[in-house]
Amino acid sequence: MSVTGEGGWYPLMLSADLAPDTTAGSTMLGRDLAVWRDGQGQAHVWDDRCPHRGMRLSLGFVREGALACLYHGWRFGADGRCVHIPAHPDLSPPGTIRAAPLRVAERWGLIWAAAADEGGALPEDDPALAAVSWVPVRSLRIEAPWQGVAGAIGLPEGELAAVLDRDVDGRVLAALLPVGEGACMLHLLAAELAEVARLHDLADWGQDVRARAEERAGQVFLAGAVA
Amino acid sequence: MSALVLYDDELDEDCYRVRLFLSLLGVEARRVVVDVVPGGEQDSAAFRAVSPAGVLPVLRMDGQAVCGAQAVLLALAHGRAEWLPEGAADFARVVHWVQFAGGPLRAALLMRRASLFAGVGDEQSARRRAAVAALRIVEDHLAHRWLDGGQWVVGEGPTVADIALFPTVALCRDWGEEHSAYPALRRWVRAVRALPGFVTMPGIPDYG
Repeated sequence: MSVTGEGGWYPLMLSADLAPDTTAGSTMLGRDLAVWRDGQGQAHVWDDRCPHRGMRLSLGFVREGALACLYHGWRFGADGRCVHIPAHPDLSPPGTIRAAPLRVAERWGLIWAAAADEGGALPEDDPALAAVSWVPVRSLRIEAPWQGVAGAIGLPEGELAAVLDRDVDGRVLAALLPVGEGACMLHLLAAELAEVARLHDLADWGQDVRARAEERAGQVFLAGAVA
Repeated sequence: MSALVLYDDELDEDCYRVRLFLSLLGVEARRVVVDVVPGGEQDSAAFRAVSPAGVLPVLRMDGQAVCGAQAVLLALAHGRAEWLPEGAADFARVVHWVQFAGGPLRAALLMRRASLFAGVGDEQSARRRAAVAALRIVEDHLAHRWLDGGQWVVGEGPTVADIALFPTVALCRDWGEEHSAYPALRRWVRAVRALPGFVTMPGIPDYG
């Protein structure tokens, strides 16, 4: 979970937001990612770029345990290697044609990816996190620098996730994905056995965190009547 | 009901709202294509005779020309309780969101039109913020609905409120908003796409 150095783990999204056989996009410190889950439930995180023509793989679809690019249908298996080229169905694609997988882990209701191939252990089993199972509440995109949000919600220095015990009733797992310089995603989970009303309170608290962080960053998003 | 006639522009999301709803209902309408870009045909005397304010889409039903997406959706939903609930509370919720789609959410529609047809570069414009704010209102609503086990904007099934909101939300990538920033909307877009009779338009994501 440490963000120090290049080998850290980043919380991409709630596990609940990636159904089997679907794809999603994510962005980690400006690096665009394709996140997908195969039919067996295993999550995969790759750079969001098809080795063929550079098309975004996150716009593709999952077929027979492989991620297929929307552009020409090239399919890539769990290890990233190309397994099928529709225009040449009899060809066995060479092993050099390969999407770029990142290391991935699912812990505490979140999908994590490692920014670098080496260094950085798997997200360690923090006893405070492992002691309970976490109920997904929601994720919010915040258009403000992640460091300010981390400070505002009380994440320990250098951490992107922590159990919080403030502002709202009960224990809260908050995780922060730095999307880029001026944007982040805040993921919120509640300790199990939380009443539904408390989940709503936590979702509202997230909206509050978003509004205050964006106000500090000079970003005010106000809907209104449109001529 | 006499034969329906839809005055339609293929690339216009307001027209798509009506094409989508007609398809979900399994109702046929004869299409009259109005060439808006580049033809500007919405300002022609012939079209203004049908739609005095030049508004698209228009559905001609029983001799009446119904102008504008929200009006057409409500006119089509009338008498179909599964799409437009009869109970006062749920009826109020549905028309609230239909109005929202034709009100604050128009900021997103205008962002898309400007991006596709006029070309705007200023992504921090006041218009973008208003559009993002409107998307967030729907996102926040659906995030709360999900906590209650609800998948749709109102009630246990899709209503005309979902159809009124869907095109503008699903097309937000056209003006640079990624669905990854809106997990609740992404989940709901998938649910709408899976409805029997769903039809797409260019720009609606097929997967994800």
